[in-house]
Amino acid sequence: MSKKLETAHAGTLESSDAFVRVIPVDAKGIEIELESSVEEIYGDAIRARVLETATAMSVEGVKIIVQDKGALDYVIKARVQTAILRALGEAEPDWSVL
Amino acid sequence: MSFVFSEVPHTSIVRWQKVKDFLQSVDLEMSEDVEIFVVAKEDDRIVACGGLSGKVLKNIALDESLRGEGLALSLMSELLKVAFREGRHELFLFTKPDYQEVFESCGFKYIEQAHHQVILMENSYNIDLYKKRLRKYKHTGDVVGSIVMNCNPFTLGHRFLVEQACERSHWVHLFVVKEDASFFTFKDRYRLICEGLVDLENLTIHEGSDYIISKATFPTYFIKDKRQIDSLYTELDLNIFRNHLAPQLGITHRFVGEEPLCAVTNEYNQQMKKLLARPSEAPPIEVVELGRIEYGGEPISASRVRKLMQHNRLEEILPLVPPTTYALIATMMSKEEAK
Repeated sequence: MSKKLETAHAGTLESSDAFVRVIPVDAKGIEIELESSVEEIYGDAIRARVLETATAMSVEGVKIIVQDKGALDYVIKARVQTAILRALGEAEPDWSVL
Repeated sequence: MSFVFSEVPHTSIVRWQKVKDFLQSVDLEMSEDVEIFVVAKEDDRIVACGGLSGKVLKNIALDESLRGEGLALSLMSELLKVAFREGRHELFLFTKPDYQEVFESCGFKYIEQAHHQVILMENSYNIDLYKKRLRKYKHTGDVVGSIVMNCNPFTLGHRFLVEQACERSHWVHLFVVKEDASFFTFKDRYRLICEGLVDLENLTIHEGSDYIISKATFPTYFIKDKRQIDSLYTELDLNIFRNHLAPQLGITHRFVGEEPLCAVTNEYNQQMKKLLARPSEAPPIEVVELGRIEYGGEPISASRVRKLMQHNRLEEILPLVPPTTYALIATMMSKEEAK
């Protein structure tokens, strides 16, 4: 199921955090754009985590832009979840899918 | 070390002055069109600031002693938060080439530079989309002309210029400045241009964009009354035209009207001749300056029409503009009178 989204963001650009933007696009699927200070080693793992988080929340037609400053993976997950919730205009997450 | 962030709106005069003083201390001049500043303070002293003007981030500065990624990134987090809250998601920023990397790590991408002193960056890929869209309108020929016009409002002078360009070219691309910073709205300006040129067959009329004489590429164009001519921004705008836009359409010529009256436009014309012809990876573009037509011994110009409107001399406007423009002005003036 796909839901209607608005542009939203979460996080900061500070060290050990991630800045996540969610932008609706005229295309199917989930597009991920990552820029990370640890791209070399963790780039693929971060992308996988972002995709997994977004898929679990069943969003479609979005571009997720992540500026990662070496955040731990649960931080990335939390930032992506928050950004998506804001994009959906929802205050409470559906805890069962998280 | 901890920093306290706060917002300074244009309305708070005392704090605004403090930001101005801080910018001066790092050799930056406060840009006049900033609406809101985000400042970082340490012990009640400003140590960093960044301004938001429309969708452009500018006057981003840090105290020399604290320059390191830490504070810059905190500041940008706050500044982006403010911009997004205002509903401005697609942002531009100006900075010095030295800081390109810092802003790349904030999600901005390089577009173009001028003089090796200033660079323009954006946080979206929109310029690529725009370029792709332009390519659909490409016409191949020996002379492919281009004109960029504001037309505030569209006069017979503009019409003459476009006619001349069309006669000399295989095809002409006319870009209408999109920024709504003129007396006439973009919607009206665009409509009057389309209506006034409907009979020309080898012409495409394009809505302008953020990449062609906009507040992002050329902020000083919109502060004309100050007589500020910043050659940095004229160069930036022309570099984008030459390196990004013109190649998509195979443009070989750019037509401009001679400009004896307005200093900003005249300076822009002169710089254009130089910049569009100098060696570069993109092919050179020849600038053709066309004379203006006159009526009653004076060139026909949009500023002349606006002046006549101010003085309520509708009948004198009639010979200067096409019927469609005249009709709009007549309606506007009768509404004004009714007030």
